[in-house]
Amino acid sequence: MGVAHKLNDDLGAVCTYRDALHRSMHDAMTRDPNVVILGQGVDDHKGTFGSTLGLAEEFGAGRVMDTPLAEEGMTGIAVGAALNGLYPIQTHIRVDFALLAMNQIVNLAAKYRYMFGGRFEVPMLVRMIIGRSWGQGAQHSQSLQSMFAHVPGLLVLAPASADAILQTYPWIIEHHRGPVISLEHRLLYDVNFRVGAEAAATGDTPLGARVVRRGGAATVVATSIMVLEALRAADHLAQHAGIEIEVIDLNCVSHPDTRVIMESVERTGRLLVADTSWKAYGVCAEICRIVCERMPMALTAPVVTLGMAPAPCPTAKVLEDEFYPNLRRLTQELATLVLGREGRDVPLPDDASMADVYKRFKGPF
Amino acid sequence: MNLTREQLLVSYRTMRMIRSFEEKLDELVTAGKLGGFLHLYAGQEAVAAGVCRQLDERDYVSTTHRGHGHCIAKGVRVKAMMAELFGRQTGVCKGKGGSMHIADLDAGMLGANGIVGAGIPLATGAALTCKTKRTGGVAIAFFGDGASNQGQFHESLNMASNWKLPAVYVVENNGWGEFTPTAFVVPVADIAVRATSYGMRSDIADGNDFFDVYEKAGQAIEAARSGQGPTLLECKTYRYYGHYVGDPLNYRSRAEADEWKTERDALVRFETRTVGDGHVESSELRRIDTEVTDELEAAVSEAERDPLPDPAAVLEDVYGQE
Ligand SMILES: Cc1ncc(C[n+]2csc(CCOP(=O)(O)OP(=O)(O)O)c2C)c(N)n1
Repeated sequence: MGVAHKLNDDLGAVCTYRDALHRSMHDAMTRDPNVVILGQGVDDHKGTFGSTLGLAEEFGAGRVMDTPLAEEGMTGIAVGAALNGLYPIQTHIRVDFALLAMNQIVNLAAKYRYMFGGRFEVPMLVRMIIGRSWGQGAQHSQSLQSMFAHVPGLLVLAPASADAILQTYPWIIEHHRGPVISLEHRLLYDVNFRVGAEAAATGDTPLGARVVRRGGAATVVATSIMVLEALRAADHLAQHAGIEIEVIDLNCVSHPDTRVIMESVERTGRLLVADTSWKAYGVCAEICRIVCERMPMALTAPVVTLGMAPAPCPTAKVLEDEFYPNLRRLTQELATLVLGREGRDVPLPDDASMADVYKRFKGPF
Repeated sequence: MNLTREQLLVSYRTMRMIRSFEEKLDELVTAGKLGGFLHLYAGQEAVAAGVCRQLDERDYVSTTHRGHGHCIAKGVRVKAMMAELFGRQTGVCKGKGGSMHIADLDAGMLGANGIVGAGIPLATGAALTCKTKRTGGVAIAFFGDGASNQGQFHESLNMASNWKLPAVYVVENNGWGEFTPTAFVVPVADIAVRATSYGMRSDIADGNDFFDVYEKAGQAIEAARSGQGPTLLECKTYRYYGHYVGDPLNYRSRAEADEWKTERDALVRFETRTVGDGHVESSELRRIDTEVTDELEAAVSEAERDPLPDPAAVLEDVYGQE
């Protein structure tokens, strides 16, 4: 009930991604006594990078539980608790650590409802944080949204803004009666957003895609922090080349909003997909499938995709820079997608990437 | 004491190198000269040095995110480690692994891993190789108290005991897992008791006493080599720095840390005992201190000047080759 109302009160307020997370955790705990938070360090002085700070003090250790290094068992415990009445919110400070819980997530949580003929519900939210920067390396930086989205039964989100969190988290916790995986980007935590600035999803639920910038020259479908990079690239091109790019924040990875995507692609005829993960078998591939199956003739140029280099994440800065998709590459690709060869003459942004955000990031916690 | 003067000096050198290496890294990161996600081993030196002093070139170790000490003690070159931390082409893993992923098969170091508990089955597997090929080697898994809650720990101990593998599981109980006190998540006072349910031998050592670790690790390794199966060796110790470099340490008491750093310090105790017994001269230890400082200075300045990896290397070594 009160969620939309409350948001209206905050319209225009500035809020970080972290604040939005904290607020959604706090409100869920307040609204529903069955909500519990389980995760390593949820009650410590860092409070899951600030997103659960103070909740153990406010709601008690019985509802905000620090858990041991035992990801698979703890996930099974959360699934079990969800079966008979709790709403567990589980946290993993890196997506990579959730891989230890893959059995419970994929073999049990995702299938429980179906396998038992609809007799069970597994309402729970698993929050996983994508690490980046500071030499996180191969085992602390993976962005595995498509691995989860591949599995029927899992609803997978990749919120790109404070609005996306404030709109989707309360809704899924209150209304969605199945397991939800949400991949939050660590570097977004400190970013300021204006509440209500982003268009809301247009469908019946807040899960749909959001058109965050209007334009007719090309469509960018982006996930997570790549939405911000795409907006920067679009602003740069509007300024330096007079091109207006449309940017779509995909938001829900497991159930891509085909209507919004197709409507845009039919209008622009050009598509670039920018994902935080690897391109093969991922969001990039999936969005292409959607367009190819529906209306490939809407495209006037081949699709362009941007993602991480097809390798594990290296630690050396020079290699890391090569590994991640960046603002300059995105701008260059968009310019040539729209202008062809002439696109190569468009001046590129000075910063290779969202340097201000990455520079402000001081360490892993 | 069955260690020669020479062996004592080498052991001290190992501990001093670990301590100084970590102090240097803390200094470099704090000064903004080095980035990265670093977990320092300072305070626990006696464990790595005491265990590895009992090993030879047939033997293997696996380690964790807090692995610099084990690498140094097992003989990974300090210069190549430093270059790795600086993200250089000359790094022991060509700048791809960084602090949490140092490995050197030539030195019997099977790798540091950033996934807590993941190295335990790897050492178990290496022990299986040693047994199958009858190399006479043993494999050591170093890990923390937090890791002993992982399924991989329990699954590994069960199999190793069943198969009588030449493995030793060294759990370094430093009282904390990130910012959580061990007692909050481990309902037994001694992790060593966890061996009982796998029919495995266990022992508890003072992890800040080189000689106690050396002796107990020696017995465990001897048992493993002679076909009597694995041991779980718990070493009680303390980490001096925070969980990672940058950790403000506002969750543990200063008094607690000070007590460990003064009365229980592994290097101080080593010196008091060896010099007190007349086995070594304190001047010899000071000479080692200076050598270590010089070696580290040289490692840093070389690493700073070493070439960066070729950007094209980002796509090298991804898949296996024929
Ligand atoms: C599977 C997994 N879960 C969580 C983490 C995050 N994490 C890194 S170190 C650590 C605590 C480890 O404690 P312990 O095993 O006692 O080792 P120590 O840090 O004390 O050396 C945690 C929770 C991780 N790296 N891997």
